[in-house]
Amino acid sequence: MSDVPLQAARRMALPSWATAPVVAGGAIALFWVVTLFTVHWWAPYDPTALAGMRFSPPSAEFWLGTDALGRDVLSRSLYGVRQSLPIAVAVIASSVVIGALLGALAGYIGGLADELVMRAADVTLSFPPILLAMAVTAALGPGLRNAAIAMVIVWWPIYARLMRAQVLSIREREHVEAAIASGATPSRVLFRHILPLCWSPIIVNATMDFGQIVLLAASLSFIGLGAVPPTPEWGQMISEGALHFYRWWIAAGPGMAILTVVLAFNFLGDGLRDVLDPRSR
Amino acid sequence: MIGYVLKRLITMPLLLLGVITLAFLLGHFTNADPLTSIIGERNMTNEAVVAAARERWGLDRSLPEQYLVYLGNLLSGDFGTSFRTKQPVSADLLARLPATLELVIAAMIVGSVSGIVLGVAAANWRDRAADHAARLFALLGSSLPVFWSGLIFLYVFSVSLAWLPGPGRLDPRAEPPPTATGFYTIDSALAGDWAKFGDALSHLVLPALVLGWSVTGVVSRMVRGSMLDVLSQDFITAARAKGASRLRVLLNHALRNAILPTLTIIGFSFAYLITGAILTETIFSWPGIGSYAVAAARGLDHPAIIGVTIVGGAAFLLANLLTDLAYLAVDPRVKLGARPAT
Amino acid sequence: MLNCLSRLLRPSLASIVLALCAGTALAQDQPLVIARNLEINSLDPSRAFCDTCQIYLSATYEGLVRLGSDNKSVEPSLAESWEVNENQTVFTFKLAPNAVFSDGSPVEAKDVKWTFERLKNVQADASFMMSLVQSIETPDDKTVVITMSSPNSEFMGVLTAPYTGIINSDVASANGASAAADANAADTAENWFQSNSAGSGPYVLASYAADDELRFKANENYWREAPPIKEIVIDQTADAVSQAQALQSGAADIAMQIDPDTAETVSSPDLTLQTVPSYNFIYVAMSPGAEGNKVDLTKEVRQAIAYAIDYDGVIQFTVGGEGNPQASPIPNGFPGTADLPMPVEDLDKAKELLEAAGHADGFEMDAPVAQLNVYGVDLVLLMQKLQQDLARVNIKLNIQPVASAVWREMVASPGVPFTARFYAPDYYGSAQYVQFFGMVPDSFWLTRAGQGKVDLLNQKEVELLNKALAASDAERESIYREIALEMINDRIIVPVVSPNLVLAYNNRVSGVRYSACCNLPLAELSWSAN
Repeated sequence: MSDVPLQAARRMALPSWATAPVVAGGAIALFWVVTLFTVHWWAPYDPTALAGMRFSPPSAEFWLGTDALGRDVLSRSLYGVRQSLPIAVAVIASSVVIGALLGALAGYIGGLADELVMRAADVTLSFPPILLAMAVTAALGPGLRNAAIAMVIVWWPIYARLMRAQVLSIREREHVEAAIASGATPSRVLFRHILPLCWSPIIVNATMDFGQIVLLAASLSFIGLGAVPPTPEWGQMISEGALHFYRWWIAAGPGMAILTVVLAFNFLGDGLRDVLDPRSR
Repeated sequence: MIGYVLKRLITMPLLLLGVITLAFLLGHFTNADPLTSIIGERNMTNEAVVAAARERWGLDRSLPEQYLVYLGNLLSGDFGTSFRTKQPVSADLLARLPATLELVIAAMIVGSVSGIVLGVAAANWRDRAADHAARLFALLGSSLPVFWSGLIFLYVFSVSLAWLPGPGRLDPRAEPPPTATGFYTIDSALAGDWAKFGDALSHLVLPALVLGWSVTGVVSRMVRGSMLDVLSQDFITAARAKGASRLRVLLNHALRNAILPTLTIIGFSFAYLITGAILTETIFSWPGIGSYAVAAARGLDHPAIIGVTIVGGAAFLLANLLTDLAYLAVDPRVKLGARPAT
Repeated sequence: MLNCLSRLLRPSLASIVLALCAGTALAQDQPLVIARNLEINSLDPSRAFCDTCQIYLSATYEGLVRLGSDNKSVEPSLAESWEVNENQTVFTFKLAPNAVFSDGSPVEAKDVKWTFERLKNVQADASFMMSLVQSIETPDDKTVVITMSSPNSEFMGVLTAPYTGIINSDVASANGASAAADANAADTAENWFQSNSAGSGPYVLASYAADDELRFKANENYWREAPPIKEIVIDQTADAVSQAQALQSGAADIAMQIDPDTAETVSSPDLTLQTVPSYNFIYVAMSPGAEGNKVDLTKEVRQAIAYAIDYDGVIQFTVGGEGNPQASPIPNGFPGTADLPMPVEDLDKAKELLEAAGHADGFEMDAPVAQLNVYGVDLVLLMQKLQQDLARVNIKLNIQPVASAVWREMVASPGVPFTARFYAPDYYGSAQYVQFFGMVPDSFWLTRAGQGKVDLLNQKEVELLNKALAASDAERESIYREIALEMINDRIIVPVVSPNLVLAYNNRVSGVRYSACCNLPLAELSWSAN
């Protein structure tokens, strides 16, 4: 807002995206994505099978020890990515699609549709996210699918608002007015001339929200409203670890997993924000 | 601007009604019959018992009818009776609210003080090791799941080092101080019971640290940004030119200018704190609204779920309004209605 | 005792200061603290039904009789003497002349009649205890005559259960309680009972904050010798590990829900950890009538499933080996359980039976289970172990952890093919188990397992139970043994473990013991002499 030209010039000298956090975040995220697709080839043990004595502390055989059923904590922590990442992707994708579509329609059509969508968004945004998600999963019953539905209900309004604001500003542009003047149908104007220009802030936001969604999904599982045992899910594993608190290693594996994933996306998000909002650089 | 404020104030009750309605609907569109939480397992197949329970809890009426009755009761502060505790939900919530507020406020203090210190340090040593360390520390706080960091803190500070007491608000042997505010620290200080004050404070430290750390990052980022903003302005350069020391300039001029935007961001952090409080309370057996909400959701205690959702929504709504208004007062250029994403 | 500010300020001296704090805390007027997961469903004696309720009610209310410390004999309490007619249908009690409630008013026959009628009419979980009561007469203030509709040799046992504690009827009625036939709807006293007690027991309720603490103080008007400890707090401490931690730090004096796995991690010369066999057990239940069954759960199939369970492994995995196998749904040590054949694992037999039934390739079975940790056993964890066991005979369990309330609804209708659950006694006597687990009319599991679709009624059990209820003390043992053998053969209920109980307490406390009816008798606790 009140940027000094000199500062901007100095920043131009550095490729702003290649900061250490962004590189580190990218590397960690890449590790988890690779793990997601390949873990079944190289994980030391089957995540749900009895691998050894129960409550074995970390050793050469079990790097992160075993849990109350003698399952390998490391393998379970690695397999946990198969719950968390797909859930987060699904929640983000659904929220973006639902939110962006409703937001675009609200912004473009205006009037009653606008009122309806935006008031629904307002009401949804009036709840602390976890409380609303808890109420929804309490209603639908536990399970990752229901937890995902709950999170979509929590997240869509954020994108609806973003998209509406975008559409409102872009429809004033000359090329849109020209298209309307040339007799293009409203849907053509919306989909061909407006929407393609609206996506960048949405994508940035989605990246930044990714970590939050992983965290919320784990939180719901932690309080017993998300994943169902014996599914290796991080939040669920930490709640099992909390029951055997003195055997700290049971929670350590999934705790580190959540930490690294969320940290990676926070690094990436931070990097993105630095690029987009130079003031905080 | 006055128009905007008025509009916000007018829409508040409407939003609140929306909150109530959504909470009520969620509480009733469930896959489990609420009766299961009321009737013991032996009597689930006893039709007479089931019918009597339905009538007693008003579940034999149609949904719109139940909704209107609920709204009517709400006007007189009646949230219904909890299936689980058998007490009025309003009484349950009132009894637990101070515990949550005490925790959230303590965490807010921890989060904002640490955030301001780190933010100032990061701005002062911009792009140097201290900057990176401060940013990493802050990011770590917002990336750690509180339900794991809480366990670690308990393990390290309470079990291994025995510096601080374990879960709970007070030593179980001690009786709560006479109620004035419901905050055990303040109440015991008011009563002049300093031993109890120390006890309450030492119980508060760990959960407040865990929860506070989770918002350090939001605050420190804001402080750092606005400090850098201010530091580059003319009057700072002038002050430096007049021979004011670097630290003096930093604290006196820059921080003072950065503090207002920071206040608003502390308001925003309320959202994080509510989320975190629910999980922190569970880990630390903190008898507040958060652990009540978790117990209600697990036990399918519908009146309690609805009540806690409404109260949480109302509090959130109010916090958002106050933050927006504060933001507006600080920086009128801000685009109204477009909140930064949380 | 943790009030020492200096602990905060001088952390390096923490251990020394901790010891100092602990030293000053030994004053005899300190409240005694029990760390426990409260999980109280109600403090109303007629509506309560939970383990903490047993502790609470037996401390604040007294029954006509009580269970002796051998966990078997019946001893006088409010009734100083009683008579039972020969065919176990008429019970006559003489009340102690000097017994008074906590408000000082005398305990009279009308209070007994009112209490029992209320227990029956509110139709709550413990109401079954009064189901055979036909009429209650009060010829004078101190005499009660209870007539049964059919023989009930179990009744003296029932009267030791804490839920039959006598309520001060005048005080309770003034606060909305009702004993009338429509008490189910008319009684509005439950909320009052959440913050008041109205019994004649050694303690009274000082305060109750749900999810936080339950506080007792000594009953100033107690009509017998006052209890040694003046104030007791049961502090909400959700899980075994937190309880162990509270015990080790000195914040708590007694914990009774520390599982054997956690007990292993506790070591302190100041603490006593005593492992005793309990009467609690965890069982597996199979419901042939459940809607979700993909194959016919015939007796042969149920037999095969029972053979496929690794019983030793289950005990190892759920309670670290600290438990005992149990033959029938009657707990070890109760009438009729001597020398019963224990369940065995036999994979070959299991496969043989499955093949004969046409399921050599196995089948899938839904297994909803409540997300609970009871008596040190995590039911979901147990289910995961059973899942691994049954996979060996190609049976695939679909575990569905659900909230306890949802579980109750599901078993009631449409039934659940395979599940696990727990049971704890309320008094010493075997009929309660037959009436709950046996295939006799109106039993909990007959209706749940059959769902009105599969006839599982075991006529022989019905006849034997009637015989046992009319039998004298001496004859009952052998009749219950026959019933136990029948229940084993039903293969609806398969007990998998009777977990041991860890009594963990600070050495400064004495008098800690496990009671079959009442969990922990608070009035017997005292501070050790040293």
